Amino acid sequence: MTEVPFPGLSTENPDSEGVVSTWFVGEGESVAADQLLAEVQVDKVAAEVLAPVAGVVRLLVEEEAVVKQGEPIAHID
Amino acid sequence: MTTDTQLSTPSGAASARALDGEARVRLYETMVLCRTYEEAILREYHADKGPGFDIGKGLIPGEMHLSAGQEPVAAGVCAHLSTDDGVTATHRPHHFAIAHGMDLRKMTAEIFGRETGLGRGRGGHMHLFDPDTHFSCSGIIAEGYPPALGQAFAFKRKGTDRVVVAVTGEGAANQGGFHESLNLAATWNLPVVFVVEDNDWGISVPKSACTAIPSNADRAAGYGIPGERVEDNDVEAVHAAAGRAVARARAGQGPSLIEVHTLRMWGHFEGDAQGYRPELAEVPAQDPIPRYEQALRAAGLLDDDAVSRIKAAASERVEDAVAHAKDSPLPDPAQATDHVFA
Amino acid sequence: MTITDTPTTPAPAASRRLSTSKAMVEAIAQEMERDPSVIYLGEDVGAYGGIFSSTTGLLDRFGPDRILDTPISETAFIGLGIGAATEGLRPIVELMFADFLGVCFDQIYNHMAKIHFESGGNVKVPMVLTTAVGGGYSDGAQHSQCLWGTFAHLPGMKVVVPSNPADAKGLMTAAIRDDNPVVYLFHKGVMGLPWMAKNPRSIDVVPEGEYVVPIGKAALAREGKDVTVVTLSLSVHHALDVAEKLAGDGIDVEVLDLRSLVPLDREAILTSVAKTGRLVVVDEDYQSFGLSGEVVATVADRDPTLLKAPVQRVAVPDVPIPYAHVLEYAVLPRPERIEEAVRRVVGG
Repeated sequence: MTEVPFPGLSTENPDSEGVVSTWFVGEGESVAADQLLAEVQVDKVAAEVLAPVAGVVRLLVEEEAVVKQGEPIAHID
Repeated sequence: MTTDTQLSTPSGAASARALDGEARVRLYETMVLCRTYEEAILREYHADKGPGFDIGKGLIPGEMHLSAGQEPVAAGVCAHLSTDDGVTATHRPHHFAIAHGMDLRKMTAEIFGRETGLGRGRGGHMHLFDPDTHFSCSGIIAEGYPPALGQAFAFKRKGTDRVVVAVTGEGAANQGGFHESLNLAATWNLPVVFVVEDNDWGISVPKSACTAIPSNADRAAGYGIPGERVEDNDVEAVHAAAGRAVARARAGQGPSLIEVHTLRMWGHFEGDAQGYRPELAEVPAQDPIPRYEQALRAAGLLDDDAVSRIKAAASERVEDAVAHAKDSPLPDPAQATDHVFA
Repeated sequence: MTITDTPTTPAPAASRRLSTSKAMVEAIAQEMERDPSVIYLGEDVGAYGGIFSSTTGLLDRFGPDRILDTPISETAFIGLGIGAATEGLRPIVELMFADFLGVCFDQIYNHMAKIHFESGGNVKVPMVLTTAVGGGYSDGAQHSQCLWGTFAHLPGMKVVVPSNPADAKGLMTAAIRDDNPVVYLFHKGVMGLPWMAKNPRSIDVVPEGEYVVPIGKAALAREGKDVTVVTLSLSVHHALDVAEKLAGDGIDVEVLDLRSLVPLDREAILTSVAKTGRLVVVDEDYQSFGLSGEVVATVADRDPTLLKAPVQRVAVPDVPIPYAHVLEYAVLPRPERIEEAVRRVVGG
C-alpha cells in the first residue's frame, strides 16, 4: 500500500491547511503511475497530484475538505 | 483637522504652497486612512471565501484589486485637488477614491453590493461613480484617460480652473487609448494631469519585458507636454511634482504627465499567489508608510500618541463604513434590469 | 474460495479525466509538438500560464520563443498575429476577456475576418483567437460578458464554444488546423478551475492522443422527446441538470449543445424541433439581436408549423451584468429560469 500525501506547497507555513479542489479519479478505480489523481490548493497556490505508483486508488478525503500538508489523501494498493 | 469629506487643500494658490508641518501630517493621515481601509477590505474579502478559495463566494465576491503600497501617489496628488476637480481611476481605485474625498459609507456599501452603494450595487469595486466628487473608474486598461479628457473639456468650457487627474498603471502606457489621450489633451490644451502608477508589474509581466523605454515620463515629450518621473514612492516628491502639474493645468497651460515608481505590495488581485515575482520577500521592508512615519517623527511632527490617535481615527472611520455596508439592504432582484436608461 | 470471499474482479480502469482547461492545454501542446509554426501569444500566458489556466505548463515545455507574453496592446498584438498568419505561421492569440474586444475590434472584424474575402481567397489567415467569457462570480459589467453573438454576427470568422473537456480539446485541435480565423470562446465557469465554483461536468473523460471535433457540428448532450433545449457553454450543464430533475416529473428534455456558432448546425436544430415541436433557447449572451433570435429564425425560416407552442428564450435581458450577486443571478440564465421556460413550453 502506497500513501499519497497532500503536497507540502507552503514551505513558509508548513502548518497551512489546504483543500483537495478536484478529484480526477473515482474510488476503487485502477490508475497508472503518474496518472493525474487530483488538483489541490494551499494559500491560493494550486498543484497537481500524480499517482506515485500504479494500482487501485482509495480516496480518503472529499473535495473541498480541509487537509493538512503531508496528510494522506489517498492510498494506492 | 480634516473634515469627513475633504482631505485636500482648496484649489488655486494653495497648490503652489510649500509643505508645512500640518500638511505633512495630513499626507501621513491620508496614507494611513487608505491603508487601514485596504486592510479592512482584505480581511472582509477573505473572511468567507473558504474552505479553499472560491472567488464568487462571500459578502464581497468577485475580483479585488487592492492598493497597499501605492498610497503616496494618491495622497501626494489629491492634496492639490478639491472635490470640484475630477479623478478617473483604474481597477485598483480605492486609494484615489479615499484621498479625493469619497464618502466612505457609500463607497463601502457599493463594494459590498448594497442598495445604498454609490451604484446601488450594480457597479462594484471597479466601477465606482461619484458625481459629488467627479470621480469615476473603469476596469478596462487605459480607458479611464479618455473620459478624463471630457471632464476637462467641460470644466474649461465653463470657464473654471478645475482640473482632472487621470490615473493608469505603467502597463496602460502600451495601450492605444493612452497615446490617443495624451495627443488629444495636448492638441486641445486640456487641464488634465496624467498620472502613471508604475508598480513594475502588469499582473505577472514586468515593465522591462513589455515597454520599450524605461520611463513613461519621456513619452510625454513625444506629445509636447511636460513629463516628470518620481523614482522612489516618496509622498512629498509626488506632492511636489503634482503641485507643479496641477498649477500648470489651472493656469491654462495644458496637460502634464507624472510617472511615479510605486510599489504593489500585494497581488494583482486577491488570490494571486505571485509565484512569478522573485523579489516578493523584500517587499514589506519597502512599505512607504512606516518610512514616512519615521521621517515625521524625526522632524518632531509625530510621536507615539499622535500615531495612535491617527490610526485609531482611521480605524473608526473604516469600521463605521464597513458596519454601515453590512447593515445595508441587498438590492431587490425584481429591479435587476432597472437603470439601463434614464 | 468460500461463499464469503469477495469476488476477484479487476478494478475498473480509471478513465483519463481532465478539467476543461487542462484539456484545452493538451490540445495546444499536442499541436505545438506536431507543428512548429504554432505559437501562442497574449497577456500573462507565459510564466503565469494564463489568467484562466489556458496555457499552464506551456512556457516550460516550449520556451519563450513560442509562448509569448505581450504588452497590454491588444490592437498591436492581435494585428501582429494576423500578419504572421498571412506569412505562414499559425498563431493562437489570446484576448484575456472577451469584454476587452472594444479596444481591438477593428483588427478582429475588419482585418482578421475580411482579409481572405478582400483578397479574393488569395490570402489566408490561419489564426485562432482564444478568449475567456462568462459570468456568475461577481466580476461586474466589464468582465462577465459572453458576446459570442457579436463575433458570430460579423462575416468571416468561425466561432466555437466548447461546453466540456473533450470538446474543448477536440475543438481546439480543429481550430488550430483550420486555415480560417477561428474565435474560440471558453467560459470561465466550465474550465474546472480550483478557485471558482465548478459544475461536476467541468471534469470529464478526454480521449488521449489526437482528437478532433469537427467545427460546425452540434452534439446531442441528451436525447429526449418532449422539448428541445438548444444551448451552449455553461448553460449546457444547467440544462442537463434541469433535464435530470424534470425526468422525474415525466418531462423528457432533449439538450442540443451547439458547440459551433459559425458555421451554425441548423440541420441539427431543425431535426430536433421537428421531433419535439417545442423549443427553448438558453443563451448567456444578451437576448436581443443575437444568437437566440438566430436559432428561432432558423425554425421560422424553414417551417414555423414545426412549433406546437411559442418559443421560450432564456437569455440575459438586455442589461449590463450587475455586480451584486442577487442581481447577477436574477439576469443570468440559471437553472430556475430554464426549468420555468421548459414547463411553460410543454404546458402551453
